[in-house]
Amino acid sequence: MRDRALLLLYLGAIVAATFVHDPARLAAALAAVLLASGRRAPRVLARASRAAAPFAAAVSLGWLAASWWEQRPAGAALLRLNLRVLLMTSLTFALAARLDLQRALGFSRTLRFALVLTVSQVLTFRRLHADFRLALLSRSPRRVSTAASLRHGAAAGAWFLRRAEHDAAEIAQALDARGFFLDRR
Amino acid sequence: MHVPDGFLGPQTYLPAYGVAAAAWTFGLRRLRARLDAATLPRLAVVTATAFVLMMITVPLPGGTTVHVAGIGMLAVLFGVWNAFLSLSLVFLLQALMFGDGGVTALPVNALAMGLVGSLAAVGAHRLLRPVNRDAALFAAGWAGTVASATLMAGVLGLQPLLSRAPDGSPLFFPFGWKTTLPAVVLPHLAVGVADGVLALLAGRCLAPRPATAAPPPGPEAP
Amino acid sequence: MIDVERLDHAYDGAATLRDVSFRLGAGEKAVLLGCNGCGKSTLLKILAGLVHPLSGGYRYDGRTVDAASLRDASFRRRFRAEVGLLFQRSDAMLFNPTVRDEIAFGPRQHGLDDAEARVVRWATALGVAELLDRAPWTLSAGQKQMVCLASLLVLEPRLLLLDEPTAALDPRSTGWLVDFLQDLDQTLLVTTHNLSLAPELGPRCLVLGEDHALLHDGGADGLAGNLDLLRRANLVHGHRHRHGDREHRHDHTHDWD
Repeated sequence: MRDRALLLLYLGAIVAATFVHDPARLAAALAAVLLASGRRAPRVLARASRAAAPFAAAVSLGWLAASWWEQRPAGAALLRLNLRVLLMTSLTFALAARLDLQRALGFSRTLRFALVLTVSQVLTFRRLHADFRLALLSRSPRRVSTAASLRHGAAAGAWFLRRAEHDAAEIAQALDARGFFLDRR
Repeated sequence: MHVPDGFLGPQTYLPAYGVAAAAWTFGLRRLRARLDAATLPRLAVVTATAFVLMMITVPLPGGTTVHVAGIGMLAVLFGVWNAFLSLSLVFLLQALMFGDGGVTALPVNALAMGLVGSLAAVGAHRLLRPVNRDAALFAAGWAGTVASATLMAGVLGLQPLLSRAPDGSPLFFPFGWKTTLPAVVLPHLAVGVADGVLALLAGRCLAPRPATAAPPPGPEAP
Repeated sequence: MIDVERLDHAYDGAATLRDVSFRLGAGEKAVLLGCNGCGKSTLLKILAGLVHPLSGGYRYDGRTVDAASLRDASFRRRFRAEVGLLFQRSDAMLFNPTVRDEIAFGPRQHGLDDAEARVVRWATALGVAELLDRAPWTLSAGQKQMVCLASLLVLEPRLLLLDEPTAALDPRSTGWLVDFLQDLDQTLLVTTHNLSLAPELGPRCLVLGEDHALLHDGGADGLAGNLDLLRRANLVHGHRHRHGDREHRHDHTHDWD
């Protein structure tokens, strides 16, 4: 229940943040989010800045250059844009630390199982992908050539696609063996 | 191609959620109509595959590396609707669990990459498949990436037209189409080549089809 | 309890089982020994009613198990409660948010009203009681294995099929599991490619050959001496050995996994 309320509160805050255009209010809201995060505030702010930085920096620099070229002020628009981005991204990280997504989506049994299956499969695949990368690294004394890197990416991609077919069948059998489908017919 | 929150206005993401919700409902209905024992695991596993395909990096001439999107491979192998639902789930997990990409960008990403990208990939594949198998795979990878990048550029470039402050300054993403189309689409023509080559090579690795487990006996679809 | 007659099975045209027949009485404990890819996992999946043979018959407790009989809801329910299969890859079995839910899944699915008490009892028996509130995917391979085993035993099945249960375990856990399995009352069929472990797991041993046919069905004790059989099953191999400056060659196994 708590998790669902938290998710709804978060979604409401996200939508609200796109209707506020006064930089002072955006800054106040950002401060409120950080205050609410308590001791986690520095981490929330750091992660939010890191996540938004590449895109936000490219857009900001571009806008700055364009404004200078056309000789118009850029400050207010830039401040508003970046405060809003930081506010919304901080909201997400503040939420991510507290939200149990499985519980928030617990109103649907199927959705919850789908999510758990997906997350554990994602984590497994992520680990395997790291192994693929490390294996290539350990076998290449020099910088990997473009061709080898492409072949490696393709082999990894194909391996995951093939493994997906196999895993899906195996998980289905495991679900069946454990009586998952007993109440579905 | 991961747009953080704060660059798309409510005039964009609210209707986008509407369209995406309709597409999700349709996709899930389709899935449920053919629901058998493997449906749920398949969705989970294809999603994990979509997730990991996006982690694969490929070098571009000039020394930079890019992440491929893998839309072509996914859509050709698993079909448009599976790819759409799986990619949507990927964006949800990335946004809420890994903080990568925003929740307001989610429906736009899902529609651009998941639906339009998959449709373009499968369309290109179907068109060229009778001519040449390899060309069809390459085209699927390329078209999936370029189509979704073009749509994304269109949506971003729409922002300054949709909402401005009283002083005329932009409220959200500030550049119009004159900037976004070349800035987003041109690099993705190259990324598309990487995606195309990857789809082609992966397709070769996959053929001939390896021995896979037989479909589980499970309950039959009604 | 199990009656398997002339089973044949193939995946995509390649044979995985060839003319396999055997019986297993209630309470009997047997080991299924064979090299990788000889069809052990497929045989277990057939016995669990998940995969069906191309030809031949499988009867459980006198009743034929095939797609048609499993469509009968009451038989299906009984069969799923009484037959537990531990998958070789335990990840395939885990799909609940917590270990507690994972173990409770079977009892809830089968409508048992003492699910909570069962969960605590079997989690304690398998040493995973302190993991009950963790998410299964955060556990180590060995811990996952124990959670899966608890998830099966919690239903107190009559037939337990274990696919390479010691593969993910360290030596101490392997020893513990061997003792644990011996103390169970259940009918047990355990696969392994570990020759030295076979006699520990059960008095009776079935050996599947590389040609996917049953090579041996009998006592596990004399097996280690039957080099001809073991070589045909690809369970022993020979290579050069160096002892100081002497070098020689003989058949042997390497099974520390």
